[in-house]
This record gives sequence, C-alpha cells and structure tokens, in this order.
Amino acid sequence: MPSFQTSGRHGYSVQFSPFFPHRLACASCQYYGIAGGGTLFVLDVAQDGLRPVQVFDFSDGLFDVTWAENNENILVAAGGDGSIQVWDVLQPKGPLKILKEHSKEVNAVNWSQTRNENLVVSSSWDNLIKVWDVSQSQSIRTHVGHSHIVYDVVWSPQLPGTFASASGDRTVRVWDIRGGDSCAVLIQAHSEEILSCDWCKYDKNQLFSGSVDGLIRGWDIRSPRLPFCELRGHEYAIRRVRANPFLGTSLATTSYDFTVRTWDTSQQRMLETIQHHTEFVYGLDFNIHVPGQIADCAWDGVIQVYQPQSCVPP
Amino acid sequence: MERLTTIFQHLNAAEQSVGLREVASLPSYQRKADDIVVVSALRTPITKAKRGYFKDTYVDDMLAAVFQGVLSDTGLSASDIADVCVGNVGDPKIALTARVAQFFSGMPETVPVYHTNRQCASGLQAFMNVAGSLKTGQCDIGIAAGVESLSKNPMGASGFELNPRLKDYPKAQDSLLPMGITSENVASRFGISRRAQDEFALASQQKAAKAAASGLFDAEIVPVTTTVADAGGQLKTVTVSKDEGIRPTTMEGLAKLRAVFKEGGSTTAGNSSQLSDGAAAVVVTTRGEAAKRGLPVLGVLRSFAVIGCPPDIMGIGPAVAIPEALKKAGLKIDDIDVYEINEAFASQARYCVEKLGIPFERVNPKGGAIALGHPLGCTGARMIATLLHELKRRGKRSMGIVSMCMGTGMGAAAVFEYEGAN
Repeated sequence: MPSFQTSGRHGYSVQFSPFFPHRLACASCQYYGIAGGGTLFVLDVAQDGLRPVQVFDFSDGLFDVTWAENNENILVAAGGDGSIQVWDVLQPKGPLKILKEHSKEVNAVNWSQTRNENLVVSSSWDNLIKVWDVSQSQSIRTHVGHSHIVYDVVWSPQLPGTFASASGDRTVRVWDIRGGDSCAVLIQAHSEEILSCDWCKYDKNQLFSGSVDGLIRGWDIRSPRLPFCELRGHEYAIRRVRANPFLGTSLATTSYDFTVRTWDTSQQRMLETIQHHTEFVYGLDFNIHVPGQIADCAWDGVIQVYQPQSCVPP
Repeated sequence: MERLTTIFQHLNAAEQSVGLREVASLPSYQRKADDIVVVSALRTPITKAKRGYFKDTYVDDMLAAVFQGVLSDTGLSASDIADVCVGNVGDPKIALTARVAQFFSGMPETVPVYHTNRQCASGLQAFMNVAGSLKTGQCDIGIAAGVESLSKNPMGASGFELNPRLKDYPKAQDSLLPMGITSENVASRFGISRRAQDEFALASQQKAAKAAASGLFDAEIVPVTTTVADAGGQLKTVTVSKDEGIRPTTMEGLAKLRAVFKEGGSTTAGNSSQLSDGAAAVVVTTRGEAAKRGLPVLGVLRSFAVIGCPPDIMGIGPAVAIPEALKKAGLKIDDIDVYEINEAFASQARYCVEKLGIPFERVNPKGGAIALGHPLGCTGARMIATLLHELKRRGKRSMGIVSMCMGTGMGAAAVFEYEGAN
C-alpha cells in the first residue's frame, strides 16, 4: 500500500488527477492549519510508494485542491488567506495566478465536471460561494445564502451548471448558475454543522451529506424533506464524504474519529472501518481510473493510497 | 484563533449530539412510509383464573375493554379501524366473541373482525396478521388483540377425537405431551436444576413487585370495571387496575413446593407461569398513515421469525426464533436492550437466556409470566405493550424483542425499535 509521510505538514485534502491514473495532489498545512503556511504536493504512485513530482509552498494554509479538467498540469488550490491559486505542475516557481475575493479562509474548490464548462467554484468561511473562470481576473458570480461557513462545494457530474454546498448553517443547498442567485434546493439536512457533501455518480438526483452529528445522510433533491438513507457508525464529526465512481451504492467517509469508513447506501450498512491514521482524517478521493482505489490524508501527515475490498465493484 | 474554535466546535458538538456514541452500534434503518408501526398498546390487568376478579367476566367484556382503551388512547374514531384480528387459544366460539366485543366497544358493523390461533404466540400472530394486511394494502390501520379466559375456557380441554394413526409418528405423538412434561424434558435434557428454576422464578416475582410498586405498569394497563361473585355467590362491582399474580416470594417458599407434573421432577407451581385471565390490544398502522393522522409512533416492527422445534421440548422455541429474528433485522444479541421472553416455565426461559448468552438483567425487566400470569392468547399482545412502554420510559433509541415458545413445538420472536423521543 503506497503511502507518503510529509514532514511537518498536516493533510487537508487529496485529489486524483483526471488525466493520469497514478497522479494525485494533496493540499496541506503547517501547524495543523491553525497558523503558518501551506504546501501543495503533487505525487505519483510508484512501485516503492508515493513519489513527489512537485512540491509548492504557499504563505498560508491550503485547505483544498482541484485538478483542471482541460489541462493535465493545472491545479487550483484553496488558501487560508481567502485566495484561490492556479498552479502549473511544470512551473515550480509559484502560482500562475492568485485570485483573492473571499474575505476569509477558502475551504473548498471544485472544477466543473460537465462538458465544456471549465468553471471553478469556491466556498469560504465568509459564508459566500464564488464561481470563477480562471482565465479571467475576477469571479463570474457570487452566491449569497448560507449563514455560516461553507465547508464544501461540489459540481454535479450530470446536471450542467449545478453544484451543491454544505454549510455550518446545517443546510445543504443546490445551486444552478443558469438560474437566479438564490439556491434551487434547500435541505435542512442535519442538526449540527455539515462539513461535506457529494453527488452520486449514477443517479443525478442523489446527494450525500456528512455532519458534525456523526451521521451521513442521502438525499433525493426532488424530495428533500426526508433523507432516503442514514448511515451511522462514525464516533465523531464526519469531515468528508465521497461517492464511489465505480459503484452507485458505495460511499467512503473520513472523520475526526481517526477512521475512514466505507458504506453500502442501499442496504444502509457500514462495510469497512479503516484505521491507518493516528490523527483526524480529513481528505479523501476516489481514483476515476482504478476501480475502488482511494487516496486519503490526515493530520498525522500521512497520505495513503489503497483499495478497500468493499469499494471494488464485483 | 477562529480556526481553532471552529475545529473545537466540530469536536464538542459531536460529543453532545443525539446520543451519537450510545447508538452508534445500532444500524440505521431507513424510515419508510410503509414501516409497520405501533401507535398504541394497552392491556387489562392480568388476574388469577378461577379465583381472581375476572373469574366471572365474559371474554367479550375483557376484549371490549382493551378495544375501547386503544381507541380512546389514540383518539381514533371507531369507524376508522379497517380490520381487527384477535388472538385466542381456548374460546370455542371466539369468532362470535370477537364480533360481540367489537359491538360492545362501539365499533360499527362495517369494521370486520377475525381471530387467529398460534397457541401462546396468538397475540403476536394477530399483530403480524394485521402487519401483513397493511403490507399488502388490505387496510391502512387495524387493531391486533389477544384475549384469554382460563376461568371460562380452562386448558386441557378433552372430548375431541384423535386420529389413531398419530401414534405411528413420534413427532405427532410428542405433540400431545402436557406442557409440564415438556418443561421437565427441557430441565433434564439441558441440566436446568430445580434451584436454577426457582432462582429465575424468584427474580421474576421480585422484578414484577418492584415494577408494580414503582407504577411502571400504569402506562400499559386499562382499568376494567366488572362484576365478580364472592364466596357467598353475591355479585359485586369492582374496578380492577392491578395485576394479581405478583406475590411476596422467597427461595425457601419456592423450594417447599412439590413438582406438579412428574414424580421427582423440578417444575412446580412456583416456577411455572400462572393460569390467568386477561386481554391486550395494539393499534397497528404504517408510518405514513400514522404521520397523516398525527399519531405518535410507539414502536416500529423491524423483523419477525417463527420457527419449529421438537414438540417434546417445545420450550426451547425462543432459542431458535430469536437468532433468526435478529439475523433478519441485522442485529446481534448485544444490540437488544430489553428481551420480553415469555416465562411459560422457568426451565425453558432460563435455558433460552443461557443458550443465547443474553445478559440476565435485560430479560423481562418488569417480571414475566411467572409473576404476572400467562393468559395464553393474550400474552403476545400483552408483551408488546409491556416492552414498548418500557422502552419509551427509558427514553433513548433502543431495540427490544418479544418472544415465546408454543405448544407442539415452535418459537416466535419479533424485533421492535423504539426510535427515541423526538
């Protein structure tokens, strides 16, 4: 199982490259992200572990990272200083561009998943969501509505111009950039802060949320009054929930309880508990090239790439 | 420092969140609109057969009392009930009795009624019958009841003709064994000593006495006003609100009792269930219908299993049915907070508890049939009421089981969830 130990960096987010099955990026912070700088790692899965291809340092913590869908070398990272930065793997000197509009930490960035829409969405501790075309120098739109930190924002893989956001105001919201400024769907999803959300890759109406209350819930955005599924098992807040691109009923989640867990949403069952970290587990991503392969990162500074049996399609 | 406080909030809120740690081990069931739910479950007090306050009470009067009890508890109009199923073992004219009870309780003739007999599981089977009718869309809300008067219809009825061929089939022959003998068989075959049985019986009496003294049965009992003849044949009107079978008991007292069923045996009147009269009723509907009518959900049916076992040791029924019901619900022995296991005999009840490795303190926390009595057809429905009111009293999300053995060799078990007070 390939893994990588950073020195003095605490993992916040990982993402596999949409172009290369062996490549991933990790956004990390110094001093647990409470203070200090950040580092963006670009790593390749090699025979003997994870090999750094490029390591970028930044003046503030980096909380999230997303790969461009139109250029295999471009990355966008979310900064603790309220900026999003555009990085080029082939340009070791520094970011190509820094776009700073958020007034507080940027917690999530996500590059659009639908064809011909090369937009980036960012969400911040300033309660705002911004939509960017990174070739321009200003954001295209700002979405106001959440009344607390917006922790996660993810484009729908199927509905054009649509993304979901998860917030400390205990709601998950669905937004359509082709519509008005207000959100298209508002889900009163949990009784505590919601730190993550993700779309099912198989059913365009399904959305999953993970909360500080320790629950994962599944929502049908057409009838968001009651969850269609609820998954219990984590003993502390859920930091990230990601849907398996190879299996429509499979989820993986990370938590402050130091574990990664895998789930079957149709049977509403926990499948595996993975305990290879010794600190809060924050980042998680599925590889879209290798069925069932996961990368995760934690505050213990370790990045792991592995393939839980329960995530591999039969 | 905002970053630090934000992360602390993630941790602190998790600590305080809805019993996160306590319930983390239980599976999350999807809350479906067609879940079978109990919205009311009540019973009469259980009285001593032939000697107690219900000795002169007609079966239909006991039944009507619980019908009225659940109707008034839910505030439902009597004409809203779409079907009624009554579990009963001994009343030869139960089809008529049930219909009469319906009219006594004010239910109009448009409400249909029928009965079912699965021996000591009849009350639970009535519940499952209504649950099945809900699942197949035959009705949207129904009453499942159980009733038995061992005063009016004593056990061990005779006078029926037996097929002489049954002696060629050992299992069929075994099905004729008196229940007390099957208890002796369980005790001797699995080594349940007289002392172990008496201890179990004593615990049942002590738990029941404590529960009654603390008023823990009040929520499940409908007081019944009836008439009873005294020793001189004089009729008087009484309102019964307490179980009669609970009595001060000691190990010495129990040890003095003689074995009833077999010379040198270990099953006595003190460590067997009591002969009793009583009735219980449960209003069963779907989650969707309950929500539509604004009825609070008392319990949710999560699984049911009924399975046969050797007729000569019929008492092991719960030991075969409970694992099956747990499996269907995706649960383990340890996930269940309260086991209501019918105490037909201390021998079989103790055997089942030990065989399954159930912690004793989770079994019949308010006592069982040894203390409360065992009105055969009523028992299953009575146990649903006893279980769900106990889970509700405890307040947190939890699971419970109702299970019993049946004459001729069967066990039944149903898993219920109390979803918590929200």
